[in-house]
Amino acid sequence: MLAARFAEVVLPHLSDALSLARWLTGNASDAEDVVQEACLKAHAGIAGFAGGNPRAWLLTIVRNASYTWLARNRPRGVVAVGDLADLDDVSPPPDNSDSPEAALIAKANSAAIEAAIARLPEAFRETLVLRDINGLSYREIAAMLGVPQGTVMSRLARARGLLMTELGGRP
Amino acid sequence: MSPIENGPRDDGLPEDPQDMKLMIHALVDGELDAAAALAVERRIAADPELAAEHARIVALQTAVASLPRPAVSGDFLARIAAIADVSRAGETEAADAEAEKAARRSSAQPQPQRKVVEMRPTARAMARRFGSFGWRQMAASIVLTAFLASGATQWLMVENAPGSFAVAVANGHRRSLLAASPVDIVSSDRHTVKPWLDGRIGVSPPAPDMAKDGYALLGGRVEVIGDKPMPALVYRHHEHLITLVAAPRQNDVKSVPVADDLSAGGFLLVHWTDGAFSYWAISDAERPALDDFVARFRAAAAANPAAGSPG
Repeated sequence: MLAARFAEVVLPHLSDALSLARWLTGNASDAEDVVQEACLKAHAGIAGFAGGNPRAWLLTIVRNASYTWLARNRPRGVVAVGDLADLDDVSPPPDNSDSPEAALIAKANSAAIEAAIARLPEAFRETLVLRDINGLSYREIAAMLGVPQGTVMSRLARARGLLMTELGGRP
Repeated sequence: MSPIENGPRDDGLPEDPQDMKLMIHALVDGELDAAAALAVERRIAADPELAAEHARIVALQTAVASLPRPAVSGDFLARIAAIADVSRAGETEAADAEAEKAARRSSAQPQPQRKVVEMRPTARAMARRFGSFGWRQMAASIVLTAFLASGATQWLMVENAPGSFAVAVANGHRRSLLAASPVDIVSSDRHTVKPWLDGRIGVSPPAPDMAKDGYALLGGRVEVIGDKPMPALVYRHHEHLITLVAAPRQNDVKSVPVADDLSAGGFLLVHWTDGAFSYWAISDAERPALDDFVARFRAAAAANPAAGSPG
């Protein structure tokens, strides 16, 4: 019965798992390795899945597997926890609300958007991907990252602010 | 601006401009309840700066959501699906090894025979592993057959039982997510989808395109539930697919005028009926998004009832 549960809980969300791992590790082939590792863990722990959102449950495991993988394969690339706290204190971006940038943003091509996301600081990128690509709710993201919802909201606003500035064609 | 207009508003929203921006993000993300959403929308309507921010956030979110998604290749899916089977075989082997060790400890055999005993475990473990694997598979297939048979019997006896119907809808949705394409006819135009469904099975539900509300009609397919072909519409909401199965209503089907929240197979479901159809909406989207979809679909279908033909 565990195999059936695995097929039910894990398999429908593989594409989401791959996107998250791709954005956290930085490339698609590493993402497959990470997701495979995460799925092994998910299988071992499937009995502990107590309902709720299966996607959020799987992505939590994928996130942990991504950071374990990064620590093992690219020790220097990992952002220390102290940096995360600092990032939350950074003052908000300058107010730039007087132009039709929305049209520019809407016209931005995929490569430009992906490059801009890749340049985001880790903590911002992770929050943005979990929300806008994986579609998790604020509460689910807060639970996964172990931070208050307010922190999720401010990281998300900062991440989007940086992307809007970049894609909206502002210096 | 008069001081009164400039003063604190009585809408419970933050006065700090940065906090107010967070509220706009929350509105775009569907995280606000109806009252807060209304208050934020009023502020946006009254303030061009906030309106510009709102437009930028919506544009960005749409752009990010439309990024190409990584494809789950057949190879990769097979590798992951195999995890469940492989590790079960592994457990069996480990259990066998344990059993062998225990047997060796308890048997006080003379030294010369040790080698023979040691040779055996591998072969025996292998034999046992393959033997038990075959046995397991056979047992599994018997259980599965029994399950299917009892399921079929149940179908004949309690046709339209909501539980099994929901499971069938969930299975259809899951299959569509794993298939190369979730739709058989690709079109955002109901004038294409409806005739296609009509031509195939003689039934077509209302198929409003709600792209402006964030629910784009991707197309349609035919689901076979029980022994009946049924029309299914597929909508896209951000990165999520919503399948809407519309079963033509029979007289004996219970009326469900108020949408009923259900879940099946790890997906969320909403079930309701109108004069002509019994609807099942299913998605891996969040509950608020699915509820919003249902509300908008019902409004659109009610506004243009002629758009549906129960066949």
